[in-house]
Amino acid sequence: MNIERIKPHLPWITLAILVVIVSLIDPNFLNPKSMLSLAADIVPLFIMALGITFAIYIGGIDLSAQSMANMVTVVATVLLASMGAWVAVFCVLLGALLGAFSGFVTTRFFVPSFISTLAVGGVAFSVAQWLSGQRSVSMDAAQRDALFGWMIGRTAGIPHELVIAAVLLFICWFIERRTVIGRNLKAIGAGELAAVASGVSVSKYKIAAFALSGGLAAFAGLLFAVKLSGGAPSVANGFLLPAIVAVLVGGTPLTGGVGGVVNTMIGTLIVAVIRASMLYLDVNATQQQMFFGLILIAAIALTIDRSKLRIVK
Amino acid sequence: MQNVLTRDNLLKWAPLLVLLALVLFFSVINPNFLSLRNFARLSISASPALMVAVGVTFIIIMGSIDLSMEGAVSALAVIFCYLLVWLGGSVAGLGCIAIPAILLLGAIVGAINGYIHVKLRIPSFMSSLAMGFVGTGAAVLMTGGNIVKIDDEVFRSLLTYRLLGFPLMAYVAFAFLLLGWVIQSYTRLGRNFYAVGGGEDLAHASGVHVKRVRVLGFALAGFFFSVAGLLQVAKLGQAESVTGANLMFISITSVVVGGVALWGGIGGVWNALVGVLIVAVINNGMIVIGIPDFIQDGLLGLLVIVAVVLSTDRRSVAFVK
Repeated sequence: MNIERIKPHLPWITLAILVVIVSLIDPNFLNPKSMLSLAADIVPLFIMALGITFAIYIGGIDLSAQSMANMVTVVATVLLASMGAWVAVFCVLLGALLGAFSGFVTTRFFVPSFISTLAVGGVAFSVAQWLSGQRSVSMDAAQRDALFGWMIGRTAGIPHELVIAAVLLFICWFIERRTVIGRNLKAIGAGELAAVASGVSVSKYKIAAFALSGGLAAFAGLLFAVKLSGGAPSVANGFLLPAIVAVLVGGTPLTGGVGGVVNTMIGTLIVAVIRASMLYLDVNATQQQMFFGLILIAAIALTIDRSKLRIVK
Repeated sequence: MQNVLTRDNLLKWAPLLVLLALVLFFSVINPNFLSLRNFARLSISASPALMVAVGVTFIIIMGSIDLSMEGAVSALAVIFCYLLVWLGGSVAGLGCIAIPAILLLGAIVGAINGYIHVKLRIPSFMSSLAMGFVGTGAAVLMTGGNIVKIDDEVFRSLLTYRLLGFPLMAYVAFAFLLLGWVIQSYTRLGRNFYAVGGGEDLAHASGVHVKRVRVLGFALAGFFFSVAGLLQVAKLGQAESVTGANLMFISITSVVVGGVALWGGIGGVWNALVGVLIVAVINNGMIVIGIPDFIQDGLLGLLVIVAVVLSTDRRSVAFVK
């Protein structure tokens, strides 16, 4: 029994222990109904975390996810009237395009991803402020229900968000585990120089990873806009930290190469349970930042593969 | 004097040329831009950002990065206000202890930042980002989401008292900039920053205590963040959990645009000054000539990318993450 053998199993063990602790404190927690709504509430965060997983999987980071989601809530709301259902396609493509731009800048111009995504986040924030006129905007309720009502309803007690999350998780899992793209992303995360030497077109796949991240962040924003029936340039603020925490506590290290989207699902559930337990303790969302910041440091320190970092900068 | 237009020379002077071009551009469109009153206004908005930028410059010279400034400035500003109120509410009396206390606390917070980065061996951009979130959370926890007001005339004179048209805080910021320059150029610590940034292995082999230099660098950055917190309080007359908001984007943009290379070893506090002035002139100039201010973040974002691209010697970089 050494620590390296237990490590891959740590995320779900943590989740199980947390669930046991919280349900001992409050037996109502195990009530299926409250659990389902708890899970449904976390879906936009989960989708954003799914995207960030790809960026971290190749050893990069995407700090633009939150601004991207913010921008999409505004874009979707403003364009809903003129574009109808196509607005969803437009938003996701816009997110993917901006993500691809981050990837392009990172790979072609050698700008570290945390800077390029921060910069693209700034661009997205400007677009959001410009389109919204720096106010919050709202959707036409009838049109929203007609076009996107299916996103937030319930069938037989199952929230539709969970179905969406499951479908996206399956698609991401398929890309990661069953396609050439996924294999190459893993190769890049495991060792970029080795991947280059093996003839992998690294730039192309890195751009693809950032495009996936951007597209999923945009989808998260879309779902958020539908849920709130509107948008604002800062409505998704506070999502970035828990999303990154979800990826890292799930077991995808900052150095990339291992973990993946299924780990992120477990990580997101851990974040959800922690959040729920904080509600009992009466700790509000902004104060939770303090706690999640500390968890983030612990999670990075536990998961990071130091053999890949000869010099820690 | 062989070739003046070498790549190195161009990179060294490009930021200053950009700054001059911007000033010229805005003053041609609107002559009011060149007025003393406008420059005074510009100095008020730039002073806190300059302090954050100088602090983070030392870190970037080492090749690391510190993204904790938003949380650090907010938390330090809030603590300063509480401390000042508790000590009688005026820096003319017992309250003067609050200023050195907060500078010391800033250095300690920075040292903790550096210690986490060095001891746990995690990349600084992530450890400091996480610590920034902790700082913001702590500021909310202390204030309960409220605003802490300061109405001490003596302390506010940093903003209200004008010398040759400029507020006192501009001179204070300049004095600390000089302090940063002295540390950078005339102390062993300053040289060690460049040694670590130029090549960590080489620095280590030459007997530099790399880990200690890193922790001290972060402590120094924390010290300058606390100065920024003080100036923010002087400027706004209050502190809350969003006192430091947006400083991360502005300061990193400034330092990079000013010509400090992200790879370390190149640039210094004067680059930070030029960078802060570029950003401040863009912000101020856009308002003066009537372009809506929401375009700033996007423009600055693109500017950062261009600056990093220009400052990177691509032959020497194998790959980036």
